This record gives sequence, structure tokens and C-alpha cells, in this order.
Amino acid sequence: MQKQMKPLLLLAVMLCSVFAKGQTLDDGLMMPKKYFCTGFLYTYSQWDKYWEGTLKRDNQNIGTFSSHNIMYVGNYGITDKLNVIAMAPYISNQSNKGTLTGLQGVQDLTIGGKYRLVRKQIGENRLSVFGVATVSTPLSNYTIDLLPMSIGLGSTNLSARGIINFRLKQGWYVNFSPAYTYRGNVALDRNHYFTDGVAYYTNQVRMFDQFSYNVNIGLIKQGLQTELNFYQQNTLGGGDIRRQDMPFVSNRMNASTIGLLVMYYLPAPKYLAFRFSTSYVIDGRNVGQSFSVMGGLLYTIHFTKPTSTVNEN
Amino acid sequence: MRTNKIIIIAALIALPFACKDIDSGEKLSPLQPVNQDAGAGSWSPIVLSNYNSQVTVAVPAATNSQTYLDELASIKDAQSKLTSDQRNTIAYWSVGGVLRWNQILRKLVAQFNLAPAPRDDGSYVFPDAENPFADPQFPFANPPYAARAYSYVSVAQFDALKAAWFYKYQFNRPAPYNVDPTIKALVPTSDLPAYPSEDAVLSGVTAEMLKLLFPTAVEEITKLAADQRNAALWSGKASPSDIAAGLALGKAVAGIITAPGTGRFRTDGMGNAIGTPQLWKSLEDNTVAKGEIPWKSLESPARPPMLPNFGKVRAWNMSAAQIVAERPVAPPYTSSEEMQTQLREVKSFANNASREQLAIVHKWADGGGTYTPPGHWNDIAAEYVANARWSEVRMARAFALLNMALHDAAVGCWETKYFYFNPRPSQLDPSIKVKTGLPNFPSYTSGHSTFSGAAAAVLSFLFPANSQQFNDFAREASLSRLYGALHYRVDCEMGLAHGTKIGSYTIGFAIADGAN
Repeated sequence: MQKQMKPLLLLAVMLCSVFAKGQTLDDGLMMPKKYFCTGFLYTYSQWDKYWEGTLKRDNQNIGTFSSHNIMYVGNYGITDKLNVIAMAPYISNQSNKGTLTGLQGVQDLTIGGKYRLVRKQIGENRLSVFGVATVSTPLSNYTIDLLPMSIGLGSTNLSARGIINFRLKQGWYVNFSPAYTYRGNVALDRNHYFTDGVAYYTNQVRMFDQFSYNVNIGLIKQGLQTELNFYQQNTLGGGDIRRQDMPFVSNRMNASTIGLLVMYYLPAPKYLAFRFSTSYVIDGRNVGQSFSVMGGLLYTIHFTKPTSTVNEN
Repeated sequence: MRTNKIIIIAALIALPFACKDIDSGEKLSPLQPVNQDAGAGSWSPIVLSNYNSQVTVAVPAATNSQTYLDELASIKDAQSKLTSDQRNTIAYWSVGGVLRWNQILRKLVAQFNLAPAPRDDGSYVFPDAENPFADPQFPFANPPYAARAYSYVSVAQFDALKAAWFYKYQFNRPAPYNVDPTIKALVPTSDLPAYPSEDAVLSGVTAEMLKLLFPTAVEEITKLAADQRNAALWSGKASPSDIAAGLALGKAVAGIITAPGTGRFRTDGMGNAIGTPQLWKSLEDNTVAKGEIPWKSLESPARPPMLPNFGKVRAWNMSAAQIVAERPVAPPYTSSEEMQTQLREVKSFANNASREQLAIVHKWADGGGTYTPPGHWNDIAAEYVANARWSEVRMARAFALLNMALHDAAVGCWETKYFYFNPRPSQLDPSIKVKTGLPNFPSYTSGHSTFSGAAAAVLSFLFPANSQQFNDFAREASLSRLYGALHYRVDCEMGLAHGTKIGSYTIGFAIADGAN
């Protein structure tokens, strides 16, 4: 089985010219028991405008900021009602103008449990409710003090999410998923900073929690999933980037993002799925106006069947 | 299954209870000097020349006079109805005005240390002291501006406190809590004479200086100064007339330093530090004429060089001739093999600096939006000053010495930078990317190194037992600029040595000022 996996993973990495945004913790889909879905997702995103506080601007010393993200994803069905999901990205950030160095490295590990609380047939339609709990924490000691180049914010997060999914018989679905993220404080490599009007004499930085939600509307039919979505992220505190200042790790980072997702389960081999998505930040605060494209291959293994089943593919 | 549910529910319940608030303040204890330095009224003045003739303080009312007894009654009345806010104000100022104002000053520098944003047409407008609320706001508290600001505030406080000590021990009027045992001492007691009040002196002199340096923060400054005077009264430390005399004395000292047309603050050359487009062009032309590659701004749009005439601003303990005489020798020619070697080393750090080296870069970066390298050295000094259990006037001396040396380091370093007008590593090799913001002024010598050399020298003089620590800090701060690919090694080494030399001039003053 291991031997069979390798070429596919390689293919997934090589397909880096296709793109999107990995969202598997906030949709209405579950892996059946003893199914393991795994793969790599590649995301390219860029922006040349950002919000300095609420002021939208460009910056000729950044030009176009770009980010490459290769993320490992694994999703295992412990039971039909409980999935465990793990994600870990490698990120490389750079800009095409100015003198500031780009940064790269392995970012945070996210591990989540997704549990189906309700599954109710309403006529020919189906309502499902899920609860998701995730924890994420840095896998490497990357610097958080050189935004926007830093590959992450360095905080260890706990997140609780609800998902309400309503699916029509014809395959149409609508999905609503609110989430609250507790963000642990972070430490800088310096003992002084100034943010939100206050001078601090410590290396500890208070990270405010986040509230986010997403709404997804789509159709799943004959192995093809197509979806339009909207993501809203609000940070529940934190200072703005001041005029002509650098961003800071605890800034109030808000974003409203619209996106499109296409997922296609290839007819042969039947355990292979192709995922594509794209998104665009339509409004924000202390964030870049990112345009992202993501593509990836996901491969599903069924552990209860004999190895020969996989080999058939 | 049930277990999983319980875990999820427990996590949900635990979230809101997790407490993440962090303390913003330095850990400072209430002022409790071992020695009040009764003789400080005879220590050498810096800007003033004679405490007796230049500033006058009227003879106070006797402690048994009705006027004074009425004052004591007003303190008792205030103490009988103190709110928790007022008690917090007392606690805030109980660490001593010198330390507290130094901390406030660092905050103001960080708040105002932002470069003007470019206009849509690619031009830059300079902050205007005459129109401070306009965009860009005044000031841009960059390192030279900050060094000068720290020095003026510290020197003005030091001179004002020496004058206060002169009168305190002339009149010897005790603090209210020592006159009347029914007045509570809400701060640690001392036998320091209360007239004129040192807290009021500091509130007056500091607020006047800060209002000129950070005019748009006037409301905050005025409130803090009033708080400090109130705290002195509410705590039983000073009577209304102690405070009134102190406030007048503090303002008078600031008035001498900032007198329009004649005060040192107005005539030290800062007004010309920005220079003119003709000057900026001539710096470039002169460098080309020497056969060298001139510095150019790597910002886009190109930004005028930062304060090219700051090297001509008056120093505290060095003459203009001494500033020139101590200028480091020329860096290697930009076309030389030696410079290529230096450049290769920078590039190797740009590409291969370790995580530990990156941490050092950010520890000492002190760039835009921070209190600057001079502020960092004040931050370091504050800890040692706070632990020394010195009198307020000796604390003021420590910051005055440190900040005179830091200002002189800024003058000496800027004189050097614009004399040689040497390009940054990223200019000679655009593939070199930096690990923190690249400052918009010439490379040779490193400002961080010069500041650090001067500060470590003065702090080693003040706290000899900790000399090794200060020198280690200085070396690390200096090398951080090489690790960050902002400077060549020669900039750092020459800057550090230059700073040490500059610091020795202030130490020369300190040895002879009568305080040792």
C-alpha cells in the first residue's frame, strides 16, 4: 500500500500549478468508518493592496506579496459519525519589491475531531449538524515579528465549531458554520513593543480570540461538487496598523472572503479526488487583499478491505 | 462516543475562562532612597549656570503659620475622601518622577516614531513643528530626534532637580507627614525637605519640554503632570505651597532651556537638520567626485535622507571640532576587494543566519514604531537605576549622563554617515535582503553600534559591577545589524569603538560634576 501511495503523492505535489484553499473542517461531509482520505493541497495567494487599519493602500516597498502553501491533509473515519482530521502546511512568503527578506518554513499543525451530532431525514431532504473541535500549534520556531513575511502568528489555538448542513435530494446543499477560536498568547524575541496606544515591557503579546463563520451553497452530483462560499473572520480585539507602520502579530485582522470550490471524484481510480478552489478578500482590516487559488489531490484508502482493493486502482 | 462528547463540551466551557490579560508595565517599586544627596545643590549645572541667580524660589511660610496650617488641613481633607483612582495615581507616581517620566517619554517616542507616508505623486512632506496636527503629524521621532529628545528632557530634569535641592536644603521645610502626625504618609517616608516639591519640579520641567517635543500629545502630557502633583499632595508628601513653588521652578528651568531665540533648545542647529534638496544633491555629487558610489535611498518612492545635518547639531560634551576629530577613518573603497569581502559576509548572513541570530536581530531592531536604540538603552538603564535606591536627583543624573552620551553619539554618527555617504549592502548587491526594516540613511557607521558603545561606556561608569553585562549587550546590539544584513562588519566595529570614545567625553564631565 505504501508503494502505491508514493506516486500519487508525488503527483499531488507536482500538480502545484493548480490551486485552492483547504477547508475540510467546515463542510458537511464525513469519511465513513475506517476510510482514510489523505493528500496534498497547494495554494498560491497574492495581494498588492492591503488594509492599514481601515485604510486600503498599496506599498511600493512590497509591490506584490505572494505566498506558496503546500499542505498535507489527512482525514480518518474512526466511526461513521466521528472523523479525525490533521493538517500541516509548508509556507513560503515573499514580495517582489523592497528590501525585506522572504520567509519560509513549516507552519502549524492542526488536529481536529468532527462529530455528527444530528442526522435527520426531513421528507426527502436531510439535515445534519456537526460539532468540531480543533487544536493548532506551531511545528517550528518561526519568527512572528516580521509580518507580512512571517509564515504565521505563532499562537496555539483551540477552536469550537458548529456546522449545520441541509441537503436536498437533488444534491443541492447549504452549509452554515460558525466558529469561536481561542488564541493563546505569543512571545516575541524582544522585550518591548508598542501596540494599540500602549507601550509594553514584556515579550508576551495578548492575542485576542476570533469569531468566524462561513456560508456555503453548492451541488454534489455524480462525483462533482461545486460550491460558492463566503467566509467572515473577525478578531475580537487588537490594534490597527498605524499610518506607515509595519503590521503586528496582535493586530485586529478581519477579512470577508468569497470563494468557489470544485471537487471532482475521478471515475478511475475511484479513490482519487481532485480539489480546486479560489477565493478573494472583498473587505478587510489589517490584512492583505488576497486572491488565492488552490488545487490538490486527495486519495482515499479503505482499511477494512484487503490491500488488493487498493491495488486494483 | 460519550467520552468525545464530554471532551468537546468541556473544551467549550473552558474557553471563556482562560485568562490572557498581560501586564504592560515595568516592575517598579516605590522610591526609597538610601541617601538623599543633600549636597546636590552644589553639583555642576549643565544648561543653567547658577541655581541661585537664574531661578528664584521665595522663602516659604513657617510650618507654624496659619497659612501653612490651612494647607495641612486641605491635605487632611483630601486624604479623608480618596477614591481608588486617586490611590492608583499615588501608587503610579510613587516610583519617582524620574523613572516614570522616562517611561512615558519612551512611550511617546514609540508612538511618534513613524516615517511620513509618501503622497500619491511620490513626494514626501516633512512634519512641521509649526503645524503639528497636519498630516504627516509632528514629530517623526526617528533615532536622532529621539536621542535629542531624551537628552533634553533628562538634562532639564537634572538641572531643575539640582536647583530644587539647592533650595530644599536652604529652607529645610519638612514634608507635611513629618510636620503633622495626623497626615498619613501614603508613600515611603523620607527626611527630604519638601519645599520646593521635587514632584512638582519634575511635572513642570518635563511637561514644558515634552509639549515642545511632542506638541500633539499636549492633553496627555498635561494630565500626567497634574496627576503627579496631585499624587504628591494626596500622599502627604507635599503641601500646596511646596507644589506651587516646585511647579514654578520646573517651568522656569524649562523656560531658560527653551527661551525663544536664545535657549539652547532653539539654537542647537536642529532646525537645519533636515537640510535642503540642494544639500542632498551635493552629498551625492561630492561622493561621486571622490570616486565612490554614493548612498541612495532604497525606498520606493525614494525618500530624502534622514536628517543629513544632524551631525552639525550641538553636542552636550563635545565641541564641533571634537565631533570632527573623533570621526572614524574612511571605510574601505566601495570598489575595493576588502569591500567585496565585507559584502560577501553580509550576504552569507542574509542567506544563512541562524534562528538564534534572527532573534538577536529582532531583539535589537528598535526600528519604526519603537522607542529607538536610545530608548532601548534607557529601558536597560531604568532597571539598574530603579534598583540602586538612589535619590531622585541622582537618578536624574544617571539618565542625563546616559542621554547626553546617546545624543552625542547620534551627532557623531550622523556626522560620519553624511561625511562618507556610504551605500548599504543591499544597494551594492540588490540580492541582499534584510531581516528588519532598512533605515533610510547611509551605512557607515552603524547607528546601533555607536549608540550602544556610548551607552555601555556611561552605564559602566555608573554601575561598574555590571560593566561586562553592558558591554555584552552593546556587542550583541552591534552584531545584530550584521546578522540582519543591514550593515557591513566594518560599520559595526568602527561604530562601537566610536561610541565608546564619545561616551568617554560624558564620563569626563561626570567625573568632575561634584556628584562622586
